[in-house]
Amino acid sequence: MEQNSFDAIVVGSGMSGGWAAKELTEKGLKTLVLERGRMVRHPDYPTATKDPWDLPYGNRITQEIRHRKPVQTRTGYPTPANEHWFVDDLDNPYVEEQPFDWLRGYHVGGRSLMWARQSYRFGPLDFEANAKEGVAIPWPVTYDEIAPWYDKVEVFAGISGSVENLYQLPDGKFLPPHDLNCVEVDFKKRLDEKLNRKLIIGRCANLTAPLTHNESPQRGTCQARNMCIRGCPFGGYFSSVSSTLPSAERTGNMTLLPNQIVYELIYDNDKGKATGVRVLDAETGKQTDYFAKIVFLCASALGSAYIMLNSTSSRFPNGFGNDSGELGCNIMDHNKPGNSNASVEGYLDVAYTGRRPNGFYIPRYRNVGKDKRDYLRGFGYQGRAARAGYARFNDSAAIGEDLKKEFQEPGPWNVSMTAFGEILPNHENQARLDRDKKDKHGLPLLVVNAVVRENERKMEKDMRNDAAEMLEAAGFKNVTLRSDSYNVGNSIHESGTARMGKDPKKSVLNKFNQVHACKNVFVTDGSFMPSFGCQNPSLTYMAFTARAAAHAVDELKKGNL
Amino acid sequence: MSDELMQRRELLRHAAWMLGGAVSAPAAFAILQGCSAKEAAVSASAYKPVFLTGASHMDMITEIAEIIIPKTKTSGAKDAGVPAFIDSVLAAVYPQDAQERFTAGLTEFGAAAAATGSAFLEQEPAQRAAFVKKSLEHALEGERNPKPFILMARELTLLGFFTSEVGITENMEYVAVPTVFHGCVPLSEMKKHVYWE
Repeated sequence: MEQNSFDAIVVGSGMSGGWAAKELTEKGLKTLVLERGRMVRHPDYPTATKDPWDLPYGNRITQEIRHRKPVQTRTGYPTPANEHWFVDDLDNPYVEEQPFDWLRGYHVGGRSLMWARQSYRFGPLDFEANAKEGVAIPWPVTYDEIAPWYDKVEVFAGISGSVENLYQLPDGKFLPPHDLNCVEVDFKKRLDEKLNRKLIIGRCANLTAPLTHNESPQRGTCQARNMCIRGCPFGGYFSSVSSTLPSAERTGNMTLLPNQIVYELIYDNDKGKATGVRVLDAETGKQTDYFAKIVFLCASALGSAYIMLNSTSSRFPNGFGNDSGELGCNIMDHNKPGNSNASVEGYLDVAYTGRRPNGFYIPRYRNVGKDKRDYLRGFGYQGRAARAGYARFNDSAAIGEDLKKEFQEPGPWNVSMTAFGEILPNHENQARLDRDKKDKHGLPLLVVNAVVRENERKMEKDMRNDAAEMLEAAGFKNVTLRSDSYNVGNSIHESGTARMGKDPKKSVLNKFNQVHACKNVFVTDGSFMPSFGCQNPSLTYMAFTARAAAHAVDELKKGNL
Repeated sequence: MSDELMQRRELLRHAAWMLGGAVSAPAAFAILQGCSAKEAAVSASAYKPVFLTGASHMDMITEIAEIIIPKTKTSGAKDAGVPAFIDSVLAAVYPQDAQERFTAGLTEFGAAAAATGSAFLEQEPAQRAAFVKKSLEHALEGERNPKPFILMARELTLLGFFTSEVGITENMEYVAVPTVFHGCVPLSEMKKHVYWE
């Protein structure tokens, strides 16, 4: 038992787990980080330096990948260049009562390795919305309370972006912004003039300049390769593998164990505390208990909900800390009903060089200020203008030397953009366990049932119509609105399964991400979100995790945990 | 893991840790890349097809690909290893229904060519090229869903060519480590005119 005892246990090593590990170890806690998947160490990313011709099959998704990863391929992501970061769905089943896309990376670093790096603050508009509109429950945290933590994580991670002074999208501590390209610059101008809408450069976790601190000597600047999803040997973007975990390791206080599947929290009824976690070794099936004074669940919204739902006791018959009946409920994501694109005439004498790992962003403008719609909340667009690549030759009638002449011509420009819409929390969007169905480890399967509803459907009309309006206002041609069937989860932003709130009868966590009913357990991944905004959420998870870790250490010192 | 690979890993680790900024990056990258040296494209004659095993199928695809992208002053489809690429993609990437349509389409293509007087592979080069051109024009005018054979063949040829080393280095604006993105520059700053992405 002695050797299995630590000050803190962190479950999960991704976006949130990395931050928990860094903050807790830097404050002197002997911390065990448990990761269910294999080890990954910076800068060992197996495909990162491959040229396009080094990848098999033109980097197209093979039938074998489709067979093993039928859910993961719904995004189009797992290609030969990166499929090692996406789970084998056959080995990791769950039950979809409604179609639900659960994208997972079971390895050290989790999805912080593959994320799209878009990094936006939630603002007062987001933190106040539930209370003002009477939706779900109020946020227990204000923007002003979390703002300094956004500052802290932005500076450490290195977030590039432009200062815009927008109420709905607060500015942060930014590295220099990426360039907009020539077409995007004019698109921005026309949107501003004709529709009074803003187009800004995306805010992303790529180092457009050296970090402003010396805590990450293993990281260099972004090299404009835009191969981030493979892992970056330069450390050009933020991941837990390149950034937070190396910091935690340098303290000498971290023990990181891969292949450890945490499936249950151990609860001591007499003490009224969690004493540790139960673990199965993913390779040998060996069961081990680990003990600590505090536990941080950072296993992703569904992963952490799974562990809590599976941790039943006489005190918690319906799942750990589930006095409210909200555990596993209120699943949110970002609604993404389709992509819009258009062709652009002209600009044939200008170009761009290098590959920008970023695009433009059109921040939310619906239900902001005086704008009022027949639905709540809003959406933002992410997109880019680019010149056509070789795919354009598929529409040519030329062959032979005529075709090769076309290889010498610069391709036309086009613009594409995708709206990400806020999904309201709804109790009926739920995950639960089916104890009659088991995976290969003998653990019960997660059942997910989540759909988009009336408010999201109403918003979709604006998401489509506004895209057409903006592309046409900019003078672009051949505007095409693609209708994609969207499954909840497809934006890879699933969240909300253990929401925080003031009232323990209506929420699982308090304002410091502590389980109301068991204060030495913290949940700091996407589980805690009581509403979801339309911004990419990772930066918010980082900020709340850092804040929760500081609170945990304070409380430990005070003898409160 | 081989010793060489281990050693390279260490160099890589060292290089990445040393990276302060853009200047040293390409040098470090050269070290990283040494381990992924690619074998030359397998020559069409030595290649044993895994999917296109029907009589003359591999030879016909080889000729069709070379007609679409011939060797001129710059490399053509054969130089780029496109025929073998097409065979392997058909085998590993295409679902069964598309595989079947491709094979049936190739057989029909052969029969239609033969109906003009002589088998496709026995025709004069100019005659073969004209037949491919005609097939393509016909397909571009007609129903494209499901995709007619000749359009599938051309798509695969382009994919194979523009993911090959010679196809990319001779035609594409591809730099392994660009180091920096410039959003708006005169066209003259582009050395090649096909963007990799």
